[in-house]
Amino acid sequence: MSDNQEVSTTGHQWDDEEGYPLQEYNNPLPKWWLYSFYATIIWAVIYWILYPAWPIGNGFTKGVLGWSMHKELREEMDEANAKKKVVNEQLASMPLQEIAKKNDLLQYAISGGKAIFGDNCAPCHGQGGIGSKAGGFPNLTDDDWLYGGNLETIEATITQGRTGQMPAHLKAAGGAFDEAQVNDLTQYVLSFSGRSQDAAASKRGDALFHGEAGCNGCHGDQGNGSLKGTMAGQALPPVGAPNLTDAIWLHGADPVSIRESIAKGRMGVMPAWGKGSKEVGRQLDPLAIKQVTLYVHSLGGGR
Amino acid sequence: MHQTSGPKPVYDYDIVKYFTIGAVVYAIVGFLVGVILALELTFPGLNADIPYITFGRLRPLHTSAVIFAFGGSVLFATSYYIVQRTCRVRLFSDFLSRFTFWGWNLVVVLVVITYPLGLSQGKEYAEPIWPIDLLITVVWVAYFINYVGTLARRQEPHIYVANWFYLAFIITVAMLHIVNNLAIPVNLTDSYPIFSGVQDAMIQWWYGHNAVGFFLTAAFLGLMYYFVPKQAERPVYSYRLSIVHFWALSFMYIWAGPHHLHYTALPDWAGTLGATFSIMLLLPSWGGMINGIMTLSGAWHKLRTDPILRFFIASLSFYGMSTFEGPMMSIKSVNALSHYTDWTIGHVHSGALGWVAMVSFGAIYHMVPRLWGVAIHSTRLINLHFWLATIGVVIYIVAMWISGIMQGLMWRAYDSFGNLSYSFAETVAAMHPYYLIRAIGGIVFLAGALVMAYNVYMTIRGANKG
Repeated sequence: MSDNQEVSTTGHQWDDEEGYPLQEYNNPLPKWWLYSFYATIIWAVIYWILYPAWPIGNGFTKGVLGWSMHKELREEMDEANAKKKVVNEQLASMPLQEIAKKNDLLQYAISGGKAIFGDNCAPCHGQGGIGSKAGGFPNLTDDDWLYGGNLETIEATITQGRTGQMPAHLKAAGGAFDEAQVNDLTQYVLSFSGRSQDAAASKRGDALFHGEAGCNGCHGDQGNGSLKGTMAGQALPPVGAPNLTDAIWLHGADPVSIRESIAKGRMGVMPAWGKGSKEVGRQLDPLAIKQVTLYVHSLGGGR
Repeated sequence: MHQTSGPKPVYDYDIVKYFTIGAVVYAIVGFLVGVILALELTFPGLNADIPYITFGRLRPLHTSAVIFAFGGSVLFATSYYIVQRTCRVRLFSDFLSRFTFWGWNLVVVLVVITYPLGLSQGKEYAEPIWPIDLLITVVWVAYFINYVGTLARRQEPHIYVANWFYLAFIITVAMLHIVNNLAIPVNLTDSYPIFSGVQDAMIQWWYGHNAVGFFLTAAFLGLMYYFVPKQAERPVYSYRLSIVHFWALSFMYIWAGPHHLHYTALPDWAGTLGATFSIMLLLPSWGGMINGIMTLSGAWHKLRTDPILRFFIASLSFYGMSTFEGPMMSIKSVNALSHYTDWTIGHVHSGALGWVAMVSFGAIYHMVPRLWGVAIHSTRLINLHFWLATIGVVIYIVAMWISGIMQGLMWRAYDSFGNLSYSFAETVAAMHPYYLIRAIGGIVFLAGALVMAYNVYMTIRGANKG
């Protein structure tokens, strides 16, 4: 390139309007450029010999390596699946309680469950299972469960799904009570967490709760929810009615949100993920459900 | 040897002026839509649930605005400018010149109306519905006739190298556009492509990659071959290199499309050909960079004082970088990591912002004073634009490199048990900060274009007053 000045131009000139015409030197091709270009061509020819490359008739040159992307995929999948095969068979045949006692198996299942959870469950329950107040999706890392936090119950919840229905109580929303009565119920529910502002209203609400409105039928006489609560000493049906005495509120803890829940009702749906699920893309095989179960159980709430 | 005898022809500069102003306006529109999209990706709520401005509809508007409205206007302006000056003859037909201007701008207007309404063929960079495709074809044929007619009437014995590149661009784009848009209309807005399945995909990427190759590379190399030696007042480095790399580039590029479809239903052999021709394309691509940069050999000191030359040299550097990166990304094993990630977006923008836009800015700054016959309003503002553009591009592409490679690595990460380490949503969350950085890079780049618009406006206003 230092020879620039010694090389003459091609002699052609164009557009000298500004007093400096376009011209061209006739420098030779830079050696490094030319040899690099040859090298890429040689590389390409070698590649064509090694890999599938040129179409001929109805077929193509297969390449001496015998490589194909489908073969590569198949081999990598086979290898990965072979590694998992033994442990997957163990997981499939052992009961959840047994798996939970074997640490290596448990760690494997938690790792698999985390991956499955991330792509299937996290959209509602959040990364790491912290839930979402906005959608009323339960936090899975705390110790507050609607249907139970042991392994078997979690597995059943995932497999069959759950539907939690809090009916509307306000007349305008299809219920049987007027504004004042809904306010009374709200005050009574607030009293469980010591937040009632109006003792008289709370007292009226108490009567409704255990009487005409029948809230204790699901939430229990003490408002402990269907899991822990009782009515007249009897266990409650497993309807997923929340505990009203703790600080955990699916749809908001403030008086306005609680009143909204009583007035208009709430509907919570956990879809079924087992084989019976009809929804496209919402099916996990029993092994996957087992792994998700162990993962969810490991998040802290189940312990 | 050189005949400069005879009266100086009266060039048609008006048409060049129209397209130049169009280029400045469309630059701002295209970059602005890009910034809006970058912000929508960062903060998805920004589309306010209005269907017309959702990402899916605005994205093709952005790509069409920058490639075809801005890039197209630059190419019409520069090709009409160069072909007249290097052939020493007025453009073939004033009517065809104006027809291409109003026709092309009608295409742009129709695109701006139809895309937000959701009217699209669904083919990347070829979204216009069939009636618009027909209009593009007619305009393009007029362009071809006008260009070749001018060449045929030239008053110079030789055709300057820039014109080879423009002609290759006009012919190839005509072929690509027609084949990729072959479709059977079912009504005024809908049609079915005549190719189906993987063949349709292959045709689409044969089109798509050569839109990059001939619209954004060959044609802008033609631009470079005129403006760099003109601005540097130096002869082009090597005529021989220009011939060899022109033919090598034209021959190699047309094969490279299948590298967009690695690890898909496309047969292995087609992917191999796409990848190998992409690798063989590297040095032919670099031929243009060498010829451009080496033209400054012996005149490097001009970079200190001439911000227009700085635009050209920076653009050639980005060109060299992205034409190296592209072949690497076409290799199957690299592509397995890079494909579908932001790396691709970064790669495209290092070419589109760094090369195409910056070389265009240089050409606009070179032409405007000559077209309007006055000095540029402010050389300092050109310099400011240069730094805004350079910093904007660098911020943009570095953010996308990091984001894209991180995304690719997170997708394929396994833990010791062989299970995926990250869910898809986690990879999206990890990219968020880089999306914000990218948007900032885009805003800086857009700010540079606004500086250019102001400078061009003040220059033209000064000319009209004087």
